[in-house]
Amino acid sequence: MSDERDKLIAEVVEKALRGDMDEINNIEDRVTRSKAKAALAKAKRAQTADSPHQIEASDTGESTAPNTLSGNPNQKVGERISEKFPDSRDGEVADTHIQLKPDQWNEIATWLKTEEDLLFDSLQCITGMDLGENVLEARYNLHSMKHRNAIEIRIAVSREIAQIPSIEQVWRIGDWFERETYDMYGIRFTGHRDLRRILLPEDWEGWPLRKDYEVQETYHGIMVPKVKEGWE
Amino acid sequence: MVLNIGPQHPSTHGVLRLQVKTDGEIISEIKPFIGYLHRCFEKHCENVTYEQVIPFTDRCDYLASMANNFGYVVAMEELMEIKVPERVEYIRVIMAELQRIASHLLALGTFGLDVGAFTPFLYMFRDRERILDMFEMTCGARLLYNYMWVGGLSHDLPIGFVESAFRFLDYFEPKIEEYNNILTYNKIFIERTADVGVMPADVAISYGVSGPNLRGSGVKWDIRKDEPYSIYDRFDFDVPVGIGEKGNLGDCWDRFNVRLTEMGESIKILRQALTQIPKNGDVHQTIPKKIRPPKGSIYKRTETPRGDLGFYIISDGSPIPNRLKMRSPAFTALSVLDEIGRGWMLSDVIAILGSLDIVLGEIDR
Amino acid sequence: MTVDNLYNWLMGFFPGITESPILLIIAILVPCLALFLFIALYALVAIYGELKVSSFMQDRVGPMGQGVGLHAGKWGLLQPVADALKLLTKEDLIPEKADKTLFIMAPFMIFIGAFIAFVAIPFGETLIIADLNIGIFYLLAVGSLAVIALILAGWSSNNKWSLYGGMRSAAQIISYEIPAGVSIVIVIMLTGTLNMQDIIKYQDGGLFNWIIFANPFTFIAFFIYFISGIAETNRTPFDIPEAESEIVGGFHTEYSGMRFAFFFLSEYANMFVVSGIASTGFLGGWQSPISGYFNTPSWGVFWMLSKIMFLVFVMMWFRWTFPRLRVDQLMNVCWKVFLPIGLLNIFGVGIWTLIFG
Repeated sequence: MSDERDKLIAEVVEKALRGDMDEINNIEDRVTRSKAKAALAKAKRAQTADSPHQIEASDTGESTAPNTLSGNPNQKVGERISEKFPDSRDGEVADTHIQLKPDQWNEIATWLKTEEDLLFDSLQCITGMDLGENVLEARYNLHSMKHRNAIEIRIAVSREIAQIPSIEQVWRIGDWFERETYDMYGIRFTGHRDLRRILLPEDWEGWPLRKDYEVQETYHGIMVPKVKEGWE
Repeated sequence: MVLNIGPQHPSTHGVLRLQVKTDGEIISEIKPFIGYLHRCFEKHCENVTYEQVIPFTDRCDYLASMANNFGYVVAMEELMEIKVPERVEYIRVIMAELQRIASHLLALGTFGLDVGAFTPFLYMFRDRERILDMFEMTCGARLLYNYMWVGGLSHDLPIGFVESAFRFLDYFEPKIEEYNNILTYNKIFIERTADVGVMPADVAISYGVSGPNLRGSGVKWDIRKDEPYSIYDRFDFDVPVGIGEKGNLGDCWDRFNVRLTEMGESIKILRQALTQIPKNGDVHQTIPKKIRPPKGSIYKRTETPRGDLGFYIISDGSPIPNRLKMRSPAFTALSVLDEIGRGWMLSDVIAILGSLDIVLGEIDR
Repeated sequence: MTVDNLYNWLMGFFPGITESPILLIIAILVPCLALFLFIALYALVAIYGELKVSSFMQDRVGPMGQGVGLHAGKWGLLQPVADALKLLTKEDLIPEKADKTLFIMAPFMIFIGAFIAFVAIPFGETLIIADLNIGIFYLLAVGSLAVIALILAGWSSNNKWSLYGGMRSAAQIISYEIPAGVSIVIVIMLTGTLNMQDIIKYQDGGLFNWIIFANPFTFIAFFIYFISGIAETNRTPFDIPEAESEIVGGFHTEYSGMRFAFFFLSEYANMFVVSGIASTGFLGGWQSPISGYFNTPSWGVFWMLSKIMFLVFVMMWFRWTFPRLRVDQLMNVCWKVFLPIGLLNIFGVGIWTLIFG
């Protein structure tokens, strides 16, 4: 019953965000209508802070197990992480991602992978990001093959202490993805067994994808070209 | 003995260096070294506008450019909430499926070449030429198209394309039988590829392998069916999965067979799309004058011939992307080589590398 | 016999002299030079044949030209000449750390191994340079010289890939000598002689007197011999030693120019020798398939050459059709399949001859 109500609320809030206020005003039940309006207000607040787009789970796959994360998996998983690992969430709660502190990331990752109704066994992508103001971020896109859910986890660190626990033993593709993020941003993944540059030569200096990156002058005596004039 | 395969080697599918430690002929460790083709794609994307990113995406996986374009464009359109006309959707699907056939032909041909069969390579290239001719007819380019733009296409289909495509399909469908005869069920080929490089399903998922490599291990996962984008949910096609027909499940033969059968499925989709395509429609109608997506981020996956291509785009409201990350399927496929290549002989490692179908342009970006 | 005939003819010019070593030497050198020219001509034909056969099987046309003097000649006939000229004029590179003596010696050895086998191949009824009475035994023995050359080439290049190629090649050739030899033993059993011309004379009387059709065991023995012969010459499906896509070039990676030309040439020469032995032993040599007709000596040369060229064509056909076997599967096929069948053949032929005469 409450699942149905949640679904209905989500639907009318979507429509309302697009400008159609009729649906939400036509809800008979007073309690539901007030809940819907509260959700709409919250969504509008989130909209001014971030994009209106929500990464939603598509749970129409062939999974026979009941999907406990229908609706907004980021939100639900975020809540469960707060319960199980207190003091691991960082910053404000948002609907599109889960912001975590770096300390317990390894344990959380193992729990996400092995917990029966979560089963996030596929790490899709690790994206590094330079947010400016001395903050670097690593964003993890996780996906569950069985339950067909997708969540996004973000971990922000400062430039001075750019260290995040490595999860390459949990999802084996983390090995190469973390090497790439290290190569481009300089975020050290502690516990990684073989952290070295992957795309650039081993002795390259600097972290290219940072916004304040200055390319080096020469590499082994060869000029590193910066502008088109002067190439001979 | 520590040996280097590559970076210049007839069969490493690009500039790839594999440092192998051998014990006689048996391999004990493989360390891939990549980055020889790194062209700073992601850094470039932070300095050019969203439209100018499209030719860059072409050049990443240069053997399946339409698929790269498609992935980027679908991600952008979801971020900006643009709905393109029907005709554009159909043309995109037609191009993507033709590109899938062309890419698989090349992958299978070079795999045969790695194993020592010289002739199927030329037969498959002969058929691939016909597809490239059709692409040339449409947008003028044979390999790097810059065809799918955000909100539309660069050119409409020329007159006579649909008839020419039907002629090609009628010509090509019996060829799959021919390839089966000459290569797939050839005893020597089966001995070289069956039971070689077995990749169990859980290893595959943990390493993020996707596409035909994952389906060869028995996992039925195809983004066109499971997270449909564009209009793929209107077409009726199967997803071929490896069943361990010759030897263990997840060996090189299974991956080869999955790719071959996928070409047949693409033919089915093409026939349906070519009959259903609306005759009228303007392909430039919904192209925005200036692309300024709203602030936010999106991660969107599409199915290219090599697997799940993911684009993570972060926009800050300006016409230039803040961050654009391309998650390439071949990157994950190469990372699993060490795991599945140990304990095999040198010839097998070449066969396994061929069956994973990697393109260094996509791995290094 | 050719040498004898020529010697006697030359002696006829100088009556009164019973023996002359100089004339003997001339009588030996002239046929050898002729043979050398024949090998060169055959190599040009074989290279052209390979280019065209491979092209037509791969649905393309291969080297073509618009006329004599304009690039490759009409139908690409000058292509092998162009190839030969190119190889002759290329720079001769010897890697710095390579073992120079062995590096230089290897191509010569492999060519010598192929060349000295030619002297015992019967081209016609009287056209054989040395009619040894241990003809076929000599040919089998001489065929193993190639192994030393390949190992030398692989080792002296100072290149791990070449070493792999050399080792694989040595293992392969030595192993496949055995099924080949066992199949030839059947021929020897039936004909009772090792002399090449006598083996051919045993098979006169038309198509069905050829040894291949003598009994079902010899039929199988022919195929075993032929396939082992292909393995001996390092052709696909047994070309693991020079597997292009794996170890770049195997034992001949570091060779360039004329030295590479020797390896290349000796591969085709070996193909000729293997086909020659197969034709002699199983297909009746210079005997005509229709008894009584077309059996003059010049027709004999025609039959022999056409049988050999047909077998060479079949070898080329195999190359462009089959993938290659992995080295342990190759060994598997040799020791676990061919050798038991070969031994069974000997047994079968013996019983058959005993029962049916």
